[in-house]
Amino acid sequence: MAHDEVKHDYHLVNPSPWPLLGSLSVVVTALGGVTFMKGLFGLEQGTWWLLALGLAMVMWVMFGWWREVIKEGRVGDHTPVVTIGLRYGMILFIASEVMFFAGWFWSFFEFAIFESARVGPNWDSANPLFADGLARFKDWPPVGVETFDPFHLPLMNTLILLLSGTTVTWAHHALQHDDRSGAKLGLLLTIILGMAFTCLQIFEYQHAQFTFDGTLYGSAFFMATGFHGAHVVIGTIFLIVCLLRLMAGNMTSEKHLGFEFAAWYWHFVDVVWLFLFAFVYVVPFLAHGG
Amino acid sequence: MRHLLAAMCAAILAGPALAFEPTDGALGMQPAATRIAERIHQFHGFVLVIITIITIFVLALLLWVIFRHNKKANPQPRKFSHNTLVEVVWTVVPALILVAIASQSFPNLYYQDVVPNLEQITSKSKQLQADGKTGAYERYTKNYFPEAAEKGFVNIKAQGNQWNWTYTYPDIVDDAGYPLEFVSNPLQVGLSTDSKEGVRNLSVDYPMVIPVGRYIRYYTAAADVIHSWTVPAFGVKTDAVPGRLNEGWFLVDQPGVYYGQCSELCGVNHAYMPIEVRVVSEEEYARWAELMLAGDYDAAAASVRQVASTEQATKFAAKQ
Amino acid sequence: MPMDEVALDHHDAHDHKPGFFKRWLFSTNHKDIGTLYLIFALIAGIVGYTLSGLIRWELAEPGIGVLTQFVSGEGDVAIQNAKHFYNTVITYHGLIMIFFMVMPALIGGFGNWFVPLMIGAPDMAFPRMNNISFWLTAAAFVLACISMMVPGGSAGNGFAGGWVLYPPLSSTTGHPGPAMDVLILSLHTAGIASILGAINFIVTILNMRAPGMTLHKMPLFAWGVLVTAVLLLLSLPVLAAALTMLLTDRNFGSQFFNPAGGGDPIMFQHLFWFFGHPEVYIMILPAFGIISHIVSTFSKKPIFGYLGMAYAMVSIGVIGFVVWAHHMYTVGMNVDLKAYFVAATMVIAVPTGIKIFSWIATMWGGSIEFKVPMLWAIGFIFLFTVGGVTGVVLANAGIDHALHDTYYVVAHFHYVLSLGAVFGLFAGWYYWFEKMFGIKYNGFIGGLHFWLMFVGSNVLFFPQHFLGLQGMPRRYIDYADGFATWHHISSIGYAITLVATLVFFVGLVEALVRRRKGVANPWGEGATTLEWTLSSPPPFHQYNELPHVTAKGGH
Ligand code: HEA
Ligand code: HEA
Ligand code: CUA
Ligand SMILES: [Cu+2]
Repeated sequence: MAHDEVKHDYHLVNPSPWPLLGSLSVVVTALGGVTFMKGLFGLEQGTWWLLALGLAMVMWVMFGWWREVIKEGRVGDHTPVVTIGLRYGMILFIASEVMFFAGWFWSFFEFAIFESARVGPNWDSANPLFADGLARFKDWPPVGVETFDPFHLPLMNTLILLLSGTTVTWAHHALQHDDRSGAKLGLLLTIILGMAFTCLQIFEYQHAQFTFDGTLYGSAFFMATGFHGAHVVIGTIFLIVCLLRLMAGNMTSEKHLGFEFAAWYWHFVDVVWLFLFAFVYVVPFLAHGG
Repeated sequence: MRHLLAAMCAAILAGPALAFEPTDGALGMQPAATRIAERIHQFHGFVLVIITIITIFVLALLLWVIFRHNKKANPQPRKFSHNTLVEVVWTVVPALILVAIASQSFPNLYYQDVVPNLEQITSKSKQLQADGKTGAYERYTKNYFPEAAEKGFVNIKAQGNQWNWTYTYPDIVDDAGYPLEFVSNPLQVGLSTDSKEGVRNLSVDYPMVIPVGRYIRYYTAAADVIHSWTVPAFGVKTDAVPGRLNEGWFLVDQPGVYYGQCSELCGVNHAYMPIEVRVVSEEEYARWAELMLAGDYDAAAASVRQVASTEQATKFAAKQ
Repeated sequence: MPMDEVALDHHDAHDHKPGFFKRWLFSTNHKDIGTLYLIFALIAGIVGYTLSGLIRWELAEPGIGVLTQFVSGEGDVAIQNAKHFYNTVITYHGLIMIFFMVMPALIGGFGNWFVPLMIGAPDMAFPRMNNISFWLTAAAFVLACISMMVPGGSAGNGFAGGWVLYPPLSSTTGHPGPAMDVLILSLHTAGIASILGAINFIVTILNMRAPGMTLHKMPLFAWGVLVTAVLLLLSLPVLAAALTMLLTDRNFGSQFFNPAGGGDPIMFQHLFWFFGHPEVYIMILPAFGIISHIVSTFSKKPIFGYLGMAYAMVSIGVIGFVVWAHHMYTVGMNVDLKAYFVAATMVIAVPTGIKIFSWIATMWGGSIEFKVPMLWAIGFIFLFTVGGVTGVVLANAGIDHALHDTYYVVAHFHYVLSLGAVFGLFAGWYYWFEKMFGIKYNGFIGGLHFWLMFVGSNVLFFPQHFLGLQGMPRRYIDYADGFATWHHISSIGYAITLVATLVFFVGLVEALVRRRKGVANPWGEGATTLEWTLSSPPPFHQYNELPHVTAKGGH
């Protein structure tokens, strides 16, 4: 039958065990997490091995899955039309990440802007929305919370991330022009900058005068910057994988989707930081008179 | 025919009997005991007509096509798929209907939601009388109550707890300056040990008591989880949220006993934290307050119990 | 699993399929995954339906007398446990019906099956990711079931705070036990599954339409799924953020929703409803798409006002993002904000009206055949209107102050969900049954199912309007005697739907046993979309040669 012959460029993937294994590992991780936090099924609170097992399984599945993807890419399954689909996919994934951060920013702003109203005796009815603009931040963070001076470490971190944004673009251009050593160098620099950011952030966290538990400001601060930090780490790992693949010679000047995605992701992480820097560090600082 | 329709409307709006507790088999809302609730009823009457007409219209169209455009009646289907005029009509007409609904809805919302400014009510009503604008005065006093306004607010705080209400009367203070505060517990919680008295699941041991014909300003707060302070006959429902103080107002113009129930899921006994409000004359209110301050809660509760159950109809409810 | 055999039993011998385990556990085939989703939704639907049976059975009479049999203890102890159990039952009823029945069936099941078929694509864009969407949904369901059975609070197992998960009832104040943590992670998992599924649908629709099929020629079901997927993609991450805050509040001492630490429980409600309101359109838009095809097919007429229909869905989706606080009129919001939300909410009635009237206009002048799917579709149009107009009543904050958290709301949302989305689901089920499984169902049994369900669910939910107007609060295990009659009648309605559901299963078994061979297009000239050009069931891999869409409009 004529129908047997595949006459299109879409990628019909072979059956794969990873999805099922992946969701199994999610169940183990979730139950392991709750066991660790609360104790479950007779296991005591603090039992960590189930969580560790789950996370290890998740890593294993990710590794296996993406190895399969890379293999498929190399045998030519990623035709032009499939590539377009993958790009759309990555953009949409980043869009969903943006909404995830929208959640953190939303709560941060609510807590910041309505702090006075919320702790005041008669919340809301007397306060027209946004009447006094950013002056609302004057009560935020609440009295007694010692914040960071944004123009020391945080500014430095901002510059580091911005610089890493340029180095990753440099690496991309180099790769497109088949300058492989330039690409490797640019990428290596990006990774180093990313790690530097993470180290400085850890350093900053260690010197924080407030904690995640116990204060609202601390919760909102660490949650927003912490999730950003987690994304930096993931992005760095993504870049490292690209570097390793580059060194193994399996990206070409025309086809390097994995690299492109890592770069997009990195830029996204960068932009989120700019917002964090502006609204979590600078504005409250200025509203308090610097 | 007119009478029949009117009777049917009354049945839908008010239910068969006049009572400020749920009536078995009733189709509509509990009778209104405040102007707020009365306006809710009027608004509901208005939108009910609109949505009924819309639904019947859709049903009629469906029946029409079912009977006139089926395979038997119309073997050869027509093939049109556009008609700009009807498309514009069914966009614009619903929009206009919504504007009509909104024009009734917004005044209502602001009326309920904004705690009235009593001084303004006094001065404005005096002004209207002085200017001899009787029509305007009557319309104004349908919604605002100058006599009550002159007496000021009665303030009450209702705090939701798992699973009862604490009422605080900042206006009623004892010699040491502490406000009257008491806990209002349900008589029934679904157990075999329940009291057999009162209206099942609605009565409490020490009801909230308010004077008739006075502006009440209430605040809600919560000690543990979110609750919601509700009395259907008053048309009020305000969540009691930990960490916040919400406020609202109402005015009941006839004595009576009114029931409400906690309206935000708050745990095991959510179904068993009723609200009982007894509206009594100013004198009875004063006597009740005195007894409460003296610590004789049972006597206080007894003093308002007989009175309230005699008179049920209010001006607002009676009008329907 | 009888359905597997059915699907296996088809005529295209040239198709080679993987072996049984590989095929069903490791699947990368959109039709097989769609079937898995439908079976899953059916199982979850039975669980959710059973839970609703417990609700109606308990509420049939005043007092607490039924659920005591399902909990430990005697006498008053049992009653106390039953109170907690009741709240658990309604919570998981709501969650399961929404996350594990309607969404998997409409989006995962029919979306997977028919989006690729209708747009002329050989499969989904990311077939392997498609499979993890399914398995993560299943994983989430497993976690939800586990959470039902582990300690919730002092009062018993499971989380008993309603499907909206409001803190502080859902924080350690209300539920210190692990049940809530497992539930949070279950919803995270379901959320990831849906986000991945949404990405898959959007990419498939944007990138894999057959040559000639522009977006403006694309079938309306695909439009419905496209808008749904965008809503999922943008709303679920916000829920994930809220759930994460709740999780850290519970376990790591953060103070987001804890007033004692300066946090605000209302913040959670904002985040929840920013997801929750789009979620209700997520459940209805695919059904809108299905109804359009059925109405057109059985009227033998093209869809009236195709573009208006498509863009009505788009605008419902867009406006759906800016109306969330209509669920929060009583929390103590500023009155001007309430006024805004009233206006924005009511606006949605306009595009929805366009859809209702366009369906009727599609039928107008048609030559309507009342086959089973058409019965469900007409039932849908009418009952959704009933549910929609009570939504407009609730949109008015002034009256919602009286009706919020009463059975009026319960009546509203069951009319749009249980009599809307679920009627759309059954319409699609009967419309595509033969296409999917290659066998015919018995039309009489299907019709009987419809009529019993139509009568039953109206008897079930219409009286709840009266209860709500009288002030009957939601989430009550026991009620004042003044509510007895209508509750009783509502429970009788449930008994009728029980018969209907049995008839549904009889019809399913009958079709599986008799195995009347299906044809490619049982509906004739009215069925114009691409799936009817394929055999029933379609070959394991369809469109090896892509179809060319030349006709004016494939819808
Ligand atoms: C499929 C799900 C679905 C759908 C489609 C809708 C549709 C709508 N809903 Fe509903 N809703 C829910 C599911 C849904 N809802 C759920 C689950 C809850 C409760 C959640 C909880 O608390 O647990 C809820 C609660 C809910 C509330 C909060 C009530 C409360 O808790 O106090 C409100 C208030 O505004 C509301 C409004 C609306 C409106 C205006 C629409 C509109 O989209 C309806 C539009 C449709 C029509 C109007 C009919 C057709 C139109 C015409 C024939 C044109 C002419 C009409 C006019 C001019 C009016 N809904
Ligand atoms: C899609 C959503 C959905 C559906 C279908 C239903 C269906 C039903 N629901 Fe409910 N319900 C909710 C969503 C839904 N519900 C939610 C969100 C709440 C609020 C929870 C809360 O307060 O937190 C609620 C709450 C709720 C209450 C209020 C509880 C309370 O406040 O105390 C009641 C009371 O009667 C009730 C009853 C019923 C009944 C009798 C049915 C049904 O029995 C009606 C008949 C339906 C069917 C027979 C369909 C069966 C479907 C299948 C078997 C699957 C078929 C699948 C395929 C073909 C693939 N539900
Ligand atoms: Cu208190 Cu419900
Ligand atoms: Cu909504």
